Amino acid sequence: MRRNKVSPLLGVLIVLSLGVVSASAATKTTTLHIEGMHCKMCSASVSKALKATAGVEKVEVSFEKGIAVVRYDDQKVTEAKLREVINGTGYKAVEEKTAGVKTRGDCCAEMAATIDCCGD
Amino acid sequence: MKRITCIAALLLVATVARAQDMRKAPALALKSVEGRSVRLSDYKGKVVLLNFWATWCPPCRAEMPDLVKMQHDYAKRGLQVVGVTYPPETVRRVRMFARRLGVNYPVALGTKETKALFDKGETLPLTVVIDRDGNIRDTIEGIMLPEEFEQKVKPLLK
Repeated sequence: MRRNKVSPLLGVLIVLSLGVVSASAATKTTTLHIEGMHCKMCSASVSKALKATAGVEKVEVSFEKGIAVVRYDDQKVTEAKLREVINGTGYKAVEEKTAGVKTRGDCCAEMAATIDCCGD
Repeated sequence: MKRITCIAALLLVATVARAQDMRKAPALALKSVEGRSVRLSDYKGKVVLLNFWATWCPPCRAEMPDLVKMQHDYAKRGLQVVGVTYPPETVRRVRMFARRLGVNYPVALGTKETKALFDKGETLPLTVVIDRDGNIRDTIEGIMLPEEFEQKVKPLLK
């Protein structure tokens, strides 16, 4: 008899815990390294594109660090898709190892004299 | 009856507020990279997308094929894209770049002051949406998203 009372309660607890686990599994945070950003307006473009992507919940882009920290629902969008979105803005999502290397040929290289927005 | 009067009054207020938000696009007379004159007044009666860009700006370069497609697809409905570069640029470089991308709309060499007539910020690309009567209807910072085109440009093409 006692066993019969415990079983439904256990069932409810299992269902609830599964719900919590699946909810937390759906939200992920990733740091994506981006090559070519040297100014505020560069990060604004990347941020705008990522925020407009379905499944993206929060975006923080730093041109100084060359990264985008993205919180997203992995049931709706993949990290590969996020990289694709970044590449679509004219910048390049890269592996961490190469992210620190600046390419002078890109954004701001020629505008250094006009606008104070270059990292170097 | 009272309710209808209230709704009408609200609509009137909204219309007046909207009209006050809009401002006439300033007169703009520039030279295209092909040496022709580019004046905004030449496009009265068309919906103009005045796109500020630069060859050194990656998002600007990424956006250009979309603008080429918009010009191609919506020209018959009265859309006119006009590109204005942001310094420092050389005619030669811009011309080469535009040819390589198959740019199908006029591109003029601009200055910082040209952009300041429309927007005080430094964001690039920047697209100013101008309606058929020459009013500035919107300013889109960064690459224009498809939903921005749908919401801010397409209704003006009707």
